Amino acid sequence: MSTYPLRAEWTKFTTLRSLWTTPLVAVALSAGITAAVQFAYGRTDTSLTEDPMEGLYFGLNFGQVAVVCLGILLIGQEYASGTLAGSLAAVPDRARFYRGKLLLGAALGLAVGLLTVAGQLAATAATVGLDLTAPGTWRALAAGVLYHPLLLVLCLALTTVLRNQTAALGLLSPLIFLGTTALTAIPGVREIAQFLPDRAGLYATRLHDAPDVHYGHGTGLLLMTLWTAIAAAAGQYALHRHDA
Amino acid sequence: MIEIRDLTKAYGERRAVDGLSFRVAAGRVTGFLGPNGAGKSTTLRTVLGLDRPTAGEALIDGLPYQRLTEPLRRVGALLNAQAVHGGRTATGHLRWIAASHHLPARRIDEVLALVGLTDAAHRRIRTFSLGMRQRLGIAAALLGDPAALLLDEPVNGLDAEGIRWIRTLLRRLADEGRAVLVSSHLMAEMAQTADHLVVIGRGRLLADTSTAAFLTEHGRRRTRVRAVDPAALTALLAETHPAAVPLGDGGYDVPDADPGELGALAASRRVALVELSVTHDSLEEAFMRMTADTVEYRAVTA
Repeated sequence: MSTYPLRAEWTKFTTLRSLWTTPLVAVALSAGITAAVQFAYGRTDTSLTEDPMEGLYFGLNFGQVAVVCLGILLIGQEYASGTLAGSLAAVPDRARFYRGKLLLGAALGLAVGLLTVAGQLAATAATVGLDLTAPGTWRALAAGVLYHPLLLVLCLALTTVLRNQTAALGLLSPLIFLGTTALTAIPGVREIAQFLPDRAGLYATRLHDAPDVHYGHGTGLLLMTLWTAIAAAAGQYALHRHDA
Repeated sequence: MIEIRDLTKAYGERRAVDGLSFRVAAGRVTGFLGPNGAGKSTTLRTVLGLDRPTAGEALIDGLPYQRLTEPLRRVGALLNAQAVHGGRTATGHLRWIAASHHLPARRIDEVLALVGLTDAAHRRIRTFSLGMRQRLGIAAALLGDPAALLLDEPVNGLDAEGIRWIRTLLRRLADEGRAVLVSSHLMAEMAQTADHLVVIGRGRLLADTSTAAFLTEHGRRRTRVRAVDPAALTALLAETHPAAVPLGDGGYDVPDADPGELGALAASRRVALVELSVTHDSLEEAFMRMTADTVEYRAVTA
């Protein structure tokens, strides 16, 4: 090994407070909101209990915004502050540099996913209880964990395509937080919007089948993986093609 | 050694760098001069592989930057002192750069001491003045103990003490056998620092010469004379040196005149002199004259 891109990326992450606090916010939001909602409404609100994952993952709707932000910030702050030139001077092989970013993003996402799902699971078990033997439960929990690194890498890659932190924050965070949910509420658009990455990924975290979704739970996660892979390739192309 | 060969960088129709070739030799400070917009920064960015050249190449010890295995041990660069994240501390900023090359933590303390930032090591960069950021940028460039240094306008934002410090530092780095390339749009500054000058305008090479040779070639020699009786001197020069320029206080600047001959002439005509000295055009004037045609943006006097 000549240069150590992953080591450099990890050090960038630990030396900037706005970076290392974001995953903590994600875990706290997801687990905290799930705990609060399950405690307050878990036993009474049927929309939360009909599919038990609806209640368990309630906090994820909010916590995922922090995951989106972390994905954007990991590379976006390099564009915003101008440190990208220094980063590429240190690691001139752009593919190596980019792999370091993606790898750190995936690892952080996985850590956040594990902690988030563990927290949400504990909160749900302590309040309304959860039948771990019900079919699909473990699949839904695993999908919940994997949803995080996929979403994080997706946002990191799309920011690399946009090459602009502000544009990425302005575009991606409202889209993930409100947009795709709103789109699925429109009857005609729903047919197409259900194939969007976060919709597909979240479908994999549910126990019950939805009648108007055209794919299975496992396929949902696969669809999100495919989106992420395409975005990662597009990011690599953009980074390779443009002057830094 | 850094070698730039027939380098061209075009942005659409506009050529920021146009067929530029020069070398940066080890053991001396090479001043890279040109008016703003002449293509200095673009050239440096191309050397670092940040901008892809339209044609030609930039080589470090015979290799393009992207092919260097541990680039920071070969080339240290300061392109833009403001391109740092204000949220990191000085140490934090240097730590990620060191991590990319597995450089020891001790090295961070060394370079911070070298640039005089030891006391500010744990302060966030957003509280730094431009001068402190320049010092931090130089620390970052020196982190890998590189054989070559590229510094883009490093004296910007430095006070008089800082400028003197950087001059001494550049001298020392060159004396240690490193190749040092320093860009600037200030000729006078470079005249005091650089051994060798590369001057460009509109992306083209205008001069590639030693500082002394540049001065001899472009700094016109003038002989300054002053007499006890100014009227006698005026009469004498009107006859023998019509190109003499009056200085207003009775003295004259006589271009391209030999002081010995001028003194002898004055003595033969019984004109008593109180001053007879040789001056050169300043480098700044030579630089202005040379680049006058290539200045990109000029204020138009209506």
